[in-house]
Amino acid sequence: MTRVLGDGWALPALDHSTTAFFTSGKLVIQQCSKCAQFQHPPEGVCHSCQSFELQHFESAGAGKVESVAVVHHPVNPGLADHVPYAVLVVSVDDAPGVLVIGNGVGKAPDEFRIGDPVRVVMEEVDDPKSGQRLTIPQWEAAG
Amino acid sequence: MDRKSAVTGIGESAYYKYGDSPHTEFQLACIAIMAAAEDAGIALSEIDGFISYSDTRNGPTRLAAALGIENLRWAATTGSGGNSVAAAMMLADAAVTAGYAENVVVFRALCQGQFGRFGQAGGAGGTMSGLLAFNGPYGLLTPAQQCALHTARFMHDHGISQEALCDIAMACYANAQNNPRALKYGKPLTREQYHASRWIVTPYHLFDCCPENDGAAAVIVSSAARAKDGPKSPAWIVGAAQGIGPQFGTYAPDNLASSFYGQVAENLWGYTGLGPTDMDVVQFYENFTGAVMIAMCDMGFAPPDGIEEFVSGGALVGADAKLPFNTSGGNLAEAYIHGMQMVNESVRQIRGESTCQVSNVEHALMVGGPGYAPGSAIVFGAST
Repeated sequence: MTRVLGDGWALPALDHSTTAFFTSGKLVIQQCSKCAQFQHPPEGVCHSCQSFELQHFESAGAGKVESVAVVHHPVNPGLADHVPYAVLVVSVDDAPGVLVIGNGVGKAPDEFRIGDPVRVVMEEVDDPKSGQRLTIPQWEAAG
Repeated sequence: MDRKSAVTGIGESAYYKYGDSPHTEFQLACIAIMAAAEDAGIALSEIDGFISYSDTRNGPTRLAAALGIENLRWAATTGSGGNSVAAAMMLADAAVTAGYAENVVVFRALCQGQFGRFGQAGGAGGTMSGLLAFNGPYGLLTPAQQCALHTARFMHDHGISQEALCDIAMACYANAQNNPRALKYGKPLTREQYHASRWIVTPYHLFDCCPENDGAAAVIVSSAARAKDGPKSPAWIVGAAQGIGPQFGTYAPDNLASSFYGQVAENLWGYTGLGPTDMDVVQFYENFTGAVMIAMCDMGFAPPDGIEEFVSGGALVGADAKLPFNTSGGNLAEAYIHGMQMVNESVRQIRGESTCQVSNVEHALMVGGPGYAPGSAIVFGAST
């Protein structure tokens, strides 16, 4: 799919914290190897047991809308042709205790509601600098 | 009681719409500080500390040179934004109470015409790092958008309608109609104008969001000995507090419908031994009306399920309001000096100098910007 906010819109810098989330082609959530706690965004230490041993959990990609805001004012000129758009806070069914941010896709921005079931879909875009393929998790209505 | 520090002087520049200031930001800072020193009845050379928040563009060494400070003993800037207004006051209180300094300036100066909007979003076409890497690619860029997500969830959970946000905005505008310093003086806001204004990000209309202004405000925090000698009635610092949650941000799974002021309330009321019903007048930093609504609940003024009724029917309007609130017009309607002007207004209420003066003020509360951490709040008192 093409990008919700346009193919020229800013991309995440790929580093030790972001690469798994934005290049795996799946919804990937950090999980503590010691106590199995999930956390997002990734961090260098487990927020629950303070272990430094952290791994990646591959989620099935089902979630629920916990909050939604529809952005009407383009705060950057690069977004002027892409408003309104929906920003969702999504809880992940098989990774309890984490929330992720994404855009609502596949229907009008003002049609997403708190409590709606959603499933992940991937925006694919090549990083113009590195040439690396990014897969950016987004959310569409489910069920 | 045995108070150790007090605000002895307040000052401000004239307030301007974005880009209209005839002065640079540094000049605005100097204007406000010189006015505060005059109000406190001290020479500029007697100032021995500078504290600000958010950024260091008008740093203490530059100010010390420009204002002829002879012995700068205390300089600090908190790292975060409007949430730390009262934290900056707390630093001044700590310095004076410990005896490290005697006359500490706390100030905020901004010239957005010169430096751009506070919290402005970054550019397109680049890459985003850190926490922004997980938000920016989705167009989640600004404080308004982040606070909107918290407000939307709060409204959903507690059955709050848009009218509650409208009532908060209208109260600020109504109170500004008494205040000739206010940029919205002579420009009242009607319910119809509110609802007709454009959406910025749901659930925030234009009138739910702080404007862009230029100006400066400053206070002098002095030792008790100095305060008792000053020309004006001291506004004693009863206590201040910071707090971060519990849990903070749009990734806080159990605390999404929050302004993150629960710990601030617990710490402030615990430290002072006071509570919401002891406050005669309150100033809440409005970055956004919805965030203030949640902060009122977090601070204990109303239960979440009752907040819409609590703010309705003009309950926040005027000096004899059920809860006298943002009596100078606040960030929305006096001027957006990042809440520092609300410290000045709290001092005016203690002195009896407000343009919307509440009678017999013993305690005045100022609450910093909601939705960000560490949040902060401060209580001023009329009595030692």
